[in-house]
Amino acid sequence: MTTATDVTASELREILATLTGRDELLAIPAGTPLFGGAVALDSLTGTLLLREIQRRFGVDVAAEDLNLDALATLGTLAEFVAARRGQAG
Amino acid sequence: MSGPVPVKCVVWDIDNTLLTGVYLEAGDRPPAADPVLAAVLAELGGRGILHALASKNPPAAAEHTAAVTGWQFAAAECGWGRKSDALPKIAGTLGIGVDTLAFVDDDPVERAEVASALPQVLVLTPDEAAEAPGWPEFSPPVVTAEARRRGQLYAERRQRQAAQRSFGGSRDEFLRSVGTNVRIARASRADLPRLAELAVRTRQFNSAAGRGDGQPPAEVVPPDWFAGLLADPVTDLLTVWLRDSFGDDGLVGGCVIARGDPAAWTVSLLMISCRAMGRGVAEALLAWLTRRAASEDALALRVPCTIDERNLPLRLALAGAGFRAASRAPGGPTGDPAPAGPAASPAIGVFERALAGPLPGLADWVHPDPETPLPSPGPEPA
Repeated sequence: MTTATDVTASELREILATLTGRDELLAIPAGTPLFGGAVALDSLTGTLLLREIQRRFGVDVAAEDLNLDALATLGTLAEFVAARRGQAG
Repeated sequence: MSGPVPVKCVVWDIDNTLLTGVYLEAGDRPPAADPVLAAVLAELGGRGILHALASKNPPAAAEHTAAVTGWQFAAAECGWGRKSDALPKIAGTLGIGVDTLAFVDDDPVERAEVASALPQVLVLTPDEAAEAPGWPEFSPPVVTAEARRRGQLYAERRQRQAAQRSFGGSRDEFLRSVGTNVRIARASRADLPRLAELAVRTRQFNSAAGRGDGQPPAEVVPPDWFAGLLADPVTDLLTVWLRDSFGDDGLVGGCVIARGDPAAWTVSLLMISCRAMGRGVAEALLAWLTRRAASEDALALRVPCTIDERNLPLRLALAGAGFRAASRAPGGPTGDPAPAGPAASPAIGVFERALAGPLPGLADWVHPDPETPLPSPGPEPA
């Protein structure tokens, strides 16, 4: 069964691949850390990612999550966004 | 008086604005440049202000405009989308805030569309733009050699970004492949004007930005503050320099480390030019700072940092380097003062990182200055 989190995770993979120009990010597992590792999210890509999430899903991760804990892994970010998307209208 | 937000980039329309006609209607002989606005491009460019293009035209129109105005545009968005979408893209490409853009267009519909969607953008007619060099928004208080070269540096940045898009590998591999070199050195007196300029201009990567509640950081960091730090025995004033095979960006960052409490060092100011964004500088500096503090037996490193929507890049770098926000009260419960700012401040988080356990890795293209009497931050590059 495909959950809302899975759907969001797929969309986030596409955003990441577009932002970085790296198609291999389309296939990363949900448990992949965003800082360091294969993704190695830096401050610029992270900013662009969060802006795109706000534009597309209406979720302002930076405002709601002071420590940016949601960015631990692709899965935690998908869960955070899936739980809030659409609520802001 | 709260001064106007300084304009960092002017986004120009092409047809009947920078050109004396409509590009696509001119056939084989595309229109010439508007001589008055071409002079404005050069005047503002000499003050370190960037220029970009947003036009409902094919990309060839941007090339023609660059050729006839003699100007290297830092970014160009050509297409048939909304200009209110083009402007944030340009700001993103340049790593600057949308509220530091000005927009010039002869078409009142385009001006209204941008003004309505992006009220923070200064929207001008071509006639107003011709007067702009006399306005305070276009008169930066400090113009250094770095600022005058800014247009060229952004052109290099555009070439670098194009190379990165076609590179395919990881960011770290790309940074290494283009010979990225980050040098960290103790500040000298000659660096002070540039450090003061960074304090004014940096916003997205400035831990003290906005502490004056809407005022620019210049209100927070007095001009002679940096000079006083040079003689302080328990404070380090450091500079960060960046270059690669595309060009030399010079002094792109600075930080102030207070070592008064040997157990927990405090980075009381950390600032990096937005030009250096995406080039590993923030990550390198934070990794080096944690390693240096650990090598001197400090147990923790603290970074008091304004919390707002604009310095998200800095917060991302802190999170990526393992820092956690310990408190949001000004000063924090541990009694840390925020030396770069007054006590009555908006939300400030004290980001803290314990220095036991694994530290962030330091890339081998980060070079602490051998002339600087700083302890080794870890394994030295060969």
